[in-house]
Amino acid sequence: MSEPTGVIHDIGYRHYDGVRLGRRHATVALAVHSLRGIFGLGRTIRAKIIPFLIVGVMMLPAVVSIAVMALLRQKVMAYTSYGSIMQAVLAVFLAAQSPYIVAPDLRFRVLPLYLSRPVTLWDYVGAKLAAMITAMFLLLAVPLTVLYIGELVVDLPDPVKTGNYLAAMAGAAVSALLLSCIGVAIASFTPRRGLGVASVIAFYLLTSAVSTLVSATMESVNNYTASGWALMINPFFLVDAAVHVGLFGADASSPVVYPSGGGAVALQLLLVVVLIALSVIALVTRYRKAAAR
Amino acid sequence: MTILATEGLTRRFPRVTALDQLTVNVGPGVTGLVGANGAGKSTLIKILLGLLDPSAGKAQVLGMDTTTQGPEIRRVVGYMPEHDCLPPDMSATEFTVHMGQMSGLPRTSARERAADVLRHVGLYEERYRVMGGYSTGMKQRVKLAQALVHDPRLVFLDEPTNGLDPQGRDEMLALIRRIGTEFGISVLVTSHLLGELERVCDHVIVIDGGKLLRSSSIADFTQTTQTVTVEVEEGRQALAARLTELGETVVEHGRSLLVQVRAPETFDTLRDAVCDLDLCLVRMEQGRQRIEDVFKEPVSRESADV
Ligand SMILES: Nc1ncnc2c1ncn2[C@@H]1O[C@H](COP(=O)(O)OP(=O)(O)OP(=O)(O)O)[C@@H](O)[C@H]1O
Ligand SMILES: [Mg+2]
Repeated sequence: MSEPTGVIHDIGYRHYDGVRLGRRHATVALAVHSLRGIFGLGRTIRAKIIPFLIVGVMMLPAVVSIAVMALLRQKVMAYTSYGSIMQAVLAVFLAAQSPYIVAPDLRFRVLPLYLSRPVTLWDYVGAKLAAMITAMFLLLAVPLTVLYIGELVVDLPDPVKTGNYLAAMAGAAVSALLLSCIGVAIASFTPRRGLGVASVIAFYLLTSAVSTLVSATMESVNNYTASGWALMINPFFLVDAAVHVGLFGADASSPVVYPSGGGAVALQLLLVVVLIALSVIALVTRYRKAAAR
Repeated sequence: MTILATEGLTRRFPRVTALDQLTVNVGPGVTGLVGANGAGKSTLIKILLGLLDPSAGKAQVLGMDTTTQGPEIRRVVGYMPEHDCLPPDMSATEFTVHMGQMSGLPRTSARERAADVLRHVGLYEERYRVMGGYSTGMKQRVKLAQALVHDPRLVFLDEPTNGLDPQGRDEMLALIRRIGTEFGISVLVTSHLLGELERVCDHVIVIDGGKLLRSSSIADFTQTTQTVTVEVEEGRQALAARLTELGETVVEHGRSLLVQVRAPETFDTLRDAVCDLDLCLVRMEQGRQRIEDVFKEPVSRESADV
């Protein structure tokens, strides 16, 4: 006798005998899950507002520039200036989203569940960092690329600035790496999301205010070397000086002249590396403690 | 077959010794791990998961060494922690799927498994809602579901009945029994109440202050110690005398009698005796609390030794 179709039977417990993938798969899945979450995908409408708004604002200069190029037939800005001009927006995104990827797992104690699976603590931390770095990179690289495509399409009389575009992309990668490490490290120290947001934004405001203030003071006493170095306190100008100007020979995006020459650039690059290393060490220390609980 | 085994397992923390020379062997089925607060139950589970190193001794889970094969163990073992561990802004479905992926299931398989497992633990429509608004009972079910999503061979359930009302407790215990029998997944379940575990376990391990007090199969000791408490309106002495005469072991215990159950026939003898003497039966209860007495005994001896 054949069973009627379309009837639900209680089939009891079924064992799983399909594939079981390894640690790598789980780590990538965690990174993708976090990356989607940073942009509010798969989350509530409320969680989408801030990332969507920021992405929109980041696209604005690219769209306006393309319109100006098309209508007035002239370049508006260098690719390498995009990040520096939009630094406050990038900082707000970093502050708003880095606590999201680390704080809830600490606060609601989801971390032990991850650790009871094959992923290690370092896979977990790596996946979270990778997600934030990718998000920060996309946030800047997408408008840059849109602008570049715009320039190709509009076809201005002067040659296309491919070199400057590539320098800007390299800068976007380095600043994403640097800022994400710092942001996630700061955010990981509190399980409270609000406090995390405040701490990261405070970090940005502080570094940018101090660097501007010290730089202006030094300039007023005609100490231009010190004035240039003071600007390096701001991570956005540090990356601009080290990567755009130092490595690719682009024009500086700040009103003040950066310290230049082989020695200075090497020192700036070293500073970037040291800051990343310190952030990672802080993160590792933090999670060692969290895992031991 | 041995599911897990420890040998001289010791874990010292700066202030306390959480586990002290623990040697146990656990076979398939449902095993209860009983101990008071701070007895070392959670510490033992963390060592078995390979998340905490022992100070001395060693442990094996499914034939794998906990210090060197932690990741391999965690692939085939599930863990339900004693504390809250659910992000409030995710739905039970999303969360269980995600945790399935973290255990190595491809996304589509994780989806199917999550749906299956959530149904088995008894979460239906509410599984699409965010977990922030769940009751404790629902949260415990999701915690159990994420421990089962990858179809482990063994699950560690750390105080799964914690915070549940009597009905929720019964349902959780029935579920645990089903996991051990119908699902064919071995279970190590902790509690500080022996009474509730005795109903669902095949084997019970009792620890106190990190030391092993007792490890035996439920059948073993219920057989030797099962008693039935009988209370009659009048004629207690007469009943005791009659039962003794018929070859039963009877002890007077306040207003009631404790009769040792030798075999199922004891109940027949008891019934007949009550009828013959024309007594009015008030209460007849299988002695649950007696089993706890069995465990209390070595505890008091232990403390007397100190
Ligand atoms: N990370 C730690 N650092 C220091 N001491 C610890 C740590 N973890 C556990 N302990 C101590 O080890 C002992 C055993 O703790 P454990 O959590 O294993 O007990 P338990 O049987 O699970 O208790 P409970 O029923 O309260 O959950 C306790 O005295 C506890 O304070
Ligand atoms: Mg515990």
